[in-house]
Amino acid sequence: MRYLTRRLVHAMLLLLAISFLSFALLQWAPGNFFDDMRLNPRISAQTVDGLRVEYGMNRPFAVRYARWAYSVLKGNMGFSFSYNSPVAPLLWARARNTLLLTSMATLLAWLFAIPLGIWSAVDKGKWFDLACGFSTSALLTIPDLLLFLVLLLLAVRTGWFPTGGMVSTGFDHLSLWGKIKDVANHFALPTVGLAVVTLPVLVRHIRSAMIEALESPFIRAARGHGIPHRRLLFRYALPAAANPLISLLGFSVATMVSASVIVEVVMSWPGLGPLMIQAILSRDVNIVIGVVMLSSVFLVAGNLLADVLLFVSDPRIRVE
Amino acid sequence: MSFHNDPLVQICGMSKEYVQRRPFRRIKFTVRAIENVNLTVHRGTTLALVGESGAGKSTVIRCLGLIETPTAGEIWFNGVNALTLDRGALFLLRRQIQIIFQDPTSALNPGMTAGEIIAEPLVIQREGTRQQQRKRGLELMEQVGLPAKWENKLPLEFSGGQRQRLAIARALTLEPKLLILDEALSNLDLINQEMILRLLAELQVLYSLTYIHVSHDLRMVSDFADEVAVMYEGRIVEQKSTAALFANPEHSYTQDLLGAMPLLESICEERYA
Amino acid sequence: MKHRRKLWGALILLAGLHGVVLFAGFFAPYSSSAQDRELPFAPPTRAHFFDIRGKFHAHPFVYGLKDDPKNFGAYETDFAQVYPLQFFVQGSRYRIAGMFYSRLHLFGVGSPGRIFVMGSDGYGRDQFTRFLYGGQISLAAGLIAAAFSVVLGIIIGALAGFYGGWIDDVLMRGGDLFMALPWLYLLFAVRAALPLHIAEWQVFLLLVAVIGLIGWVRPARLIRGVVLSAKERNFVVAARAFGASDAYLLRRHILPQTYGIVLTQMTLLIPQYILAEVTLTFLGLGVGEPMPSWGSLLSSLQQYYVLSSYWWMFVPALLLIPVFLAYYLAADALQERLKTVPL
Repeated sequence: MRYLTRRLVHAMLLLLAISFLSFALLQWAPGNFFDDMRLNPRISAQTVDGLRVEYGMNRPFAVRYARWAYSVLKGNMGFSFSYNSPVAPLLWARARNTLLLTSMATLLAWLFAIPLGIWSAVDKGKWFDLACGFSTSALLTIPDLLLFLVLLLLAVRTGWFPTGGMVSTGFDHLSLWGKIKDVANHFALPTVGLAVVTLPVLVRHIRSAMIEALESPFIRAARGHGIPHRRLLFRYALPAAANPLISLLGFSVATMVSASVIVEVVMSWPGLGPLMIQAILSRDVNIVIGVVMLSSVFLVAGNLLADVLLFVSDPRIRVE
Repeated sequence: MSFHNDPLVQICGMSKEYVQRRPFRRIKFTVRAIENVNLTVHRGTTLALVGESGAGKSTVIRCLGLIETPTAGEIWFNGVNALTLDRGALFLLRRQIQIIFQDPTSALNPGMTAGEIIAEPLVIQREGTRQQQRKRGLELMEQVGLPAKWENKLPLEFSGGQRQRLAIARALTLEPKLLILDEALSNLDLINQEMILRLLAELQVLYSLTYIHVSHDLRMVSDFADEVAVMYEGRIVEQKSTAALFANPEHSYTQDLLGAMPLLESICEERYA
Repeated sequence: MKHRRKLWGALILLAGLHGVVLFAGFFAPYSSSAQDRELPFAPPTRAHFFDIRGKFHAHPFVYGLKDDPKNFGAYETDFAQVYPLQFFVQGSRYRIAGMFYSRLHLFGVGSPGRIFVMGSDGYGRDQFTRFLYGGQISLAAGLIAAAFSVVLGIIIGALAGFYGGWIDDVLMRGGDLFMALPWLYLLFAVRAALPLHIAEWQVFLLLVAVIGLIGWVRPARLIRGVVLSAKERNFVVAARAFGASDAYLLRRHILPQTYGIVLTQMTLLIPQYILAEVTLTFLGLGVGEPMPSWGSLLSSLQQYYVLSSYWWMFVPALLLIPVFLAYYLAADALQERLKTVPL
């Protein structure tokens, strides 16, 4: 139990540090929304200053941070200057879409990576392993961007999949099943793209974790006892390899979060990515901080989830 | 092998504790490596420091060699209290005490040539020009029995015994007064041991060196040491001249030690005669 | 030895690549900003040896283009305009290594003919030229950022490993923090902090610094490990006994042990950073127009009509693959070599 509380505290501290950093970073940004506004000759200097006071931008740093942190905890993430609406609802809608995409993609990737990795490990050195190794290396050299563009091209050329967005026009008139099918149709390509991009690294790690487990002395001893192959694999080796793999899950969340941005932009999936980019280009400070914080929360939550899973699955950690 | 009256080294009541602490925890446990060690070494003599592994011999060496600081006690070297010196004086004092390690391979940087290795102490102490440093290095190589033309060879091109000679040459560069040999011969075969012991004896006469020899091997000790100090569980339990120790061991551990040492001749007699 | 051949192969490939990019002015027929508004989105020009009558010409030539009356925006070959392909021609002026001027180009055709090896973009700019010049930016970004990351990693890893204690704790926790952040968002956050209107080269340097900042953790950890084990080696202890200062120990004995790792880490980081720069510019957050980074070459692909009709705009993305391949091969070979060389 102490392990869990320790990890929880660690996660909290991490989030605190990130919030502080992101807030500080943007407060000291050499340019901000109001400076740009000032450049606009049609808005008088007084209006700008008035707006500044209204948004509380003239108070000292610590005060602003404290107020901001407090309101964030209450669920209020500030106001977006460019969208002219509170930030929080904007974020939730987009975040939900991104979560949908990334969780589906994670599921898909692991669904393929686990059997591929295990098979490669078991058949080490034989044709399947070599073929697999070759294809993962090949996939690794293909830049993510290229892959997503190719998928988009596929959509455009063949018309099998829609080319962007999350829903088609006339969405509201569909039945429930129709709605589900429509959304699924739209996120098929982004999900596949995201999964393919993260697959090679996963397969490699799973393979090496399994190989290490299979070659460890206790497995050899078990084999010597005559335990059948399949049982050996799934009841002995796999649980032993589970520890590094669960940690890998925690890490892969980070890559997934980063890669999802590119996918969302290229395929016009309405997630946090395009929102973030728009916010940067229009210098909308509150959205930027909000998205950074939110994505960090996802990440930390992912790692925490991995820690919990580890606690549950690995008895060595519980003994400590 | 004559005794002079003033001791070169005098260690009084030296102790060293290692504290282990887990981060962010309050529990710490201390390991007392050595406790209340008193040791005297006379000029121009050879002291053997014997004891089992973990008895604290290495710790004494490390403190004496000024690599680590003891938690208590004093180290008097040549009439100077070594632990009270400032950085500048300490820098100069280091020249006078040198250590030769057990494993000559790890004691030599595998990427440096023999010449560079020997000259390194001069480089660190910033003494002499490049030419002078090199010249001194070559002199020393000859002295330990390595041909000067090998100066550009890497350590891996030398045998174990030759590497140890290299380490000894390096130690002599700064003309030290005290040479500490930390089980320096344990990794060598018997013939090499013999040769190096002879070399050391020559050098001792030539440079009026004082040796502290840490060793497991009592047979070797009986050959070359003037005095023997026995360590057991972090303390010195006996310090006497070699002859006196072998003739009359007082402490139980010393007795055990001596008893466990079979002589080659008696083995030959017993088993193969 | 297999890894030696692999290493040499990769290095030669890389050298060739970088060489061509370095001398972009010579290899490219045009300057990177030259536009031809008459010929937007022209397909890649084909060189011919046989003319329409089937006659063979030893000297290759290209045909001109005219608008296709049936398809808006498409072209058809104008067999009336024949331009011989010439080598070592005089063309627009460019600088070599920022110092010398030259007008010599490897190949070109007489005006108003155009040779678009990789087609042209919406402004009629030669994609091949822009690819070469863009390589200067993207490759340089990758190299400089990787160097920055590695230097940072050396400093932090060496300090943490050598001094240990609370310094080590703090630095490694800081590293954890960095690894916990999603790199792209971190990049965005810092990019957002930069004003949008600053000088080109400043944008470039800042971008490079930011990219380099995200990847120091892994090299630092590895170097810290090496330093930790190296500082206990007896030759370091011996040198310390001679009175060596910390700086001397690090410089002479400890850091040389890290060179192998440093090199491998750099070759691994460079392609990642190149991709980071390309992605950022593609998204509009990197270097701005008209600097021809590879990212900006690809950004027009975000428009459907470009994506579906003008296939040649994809080629810069495809050409990224050999670049990455070369670097990964080099990294692989270096890692194998490291394992066989005794420490």
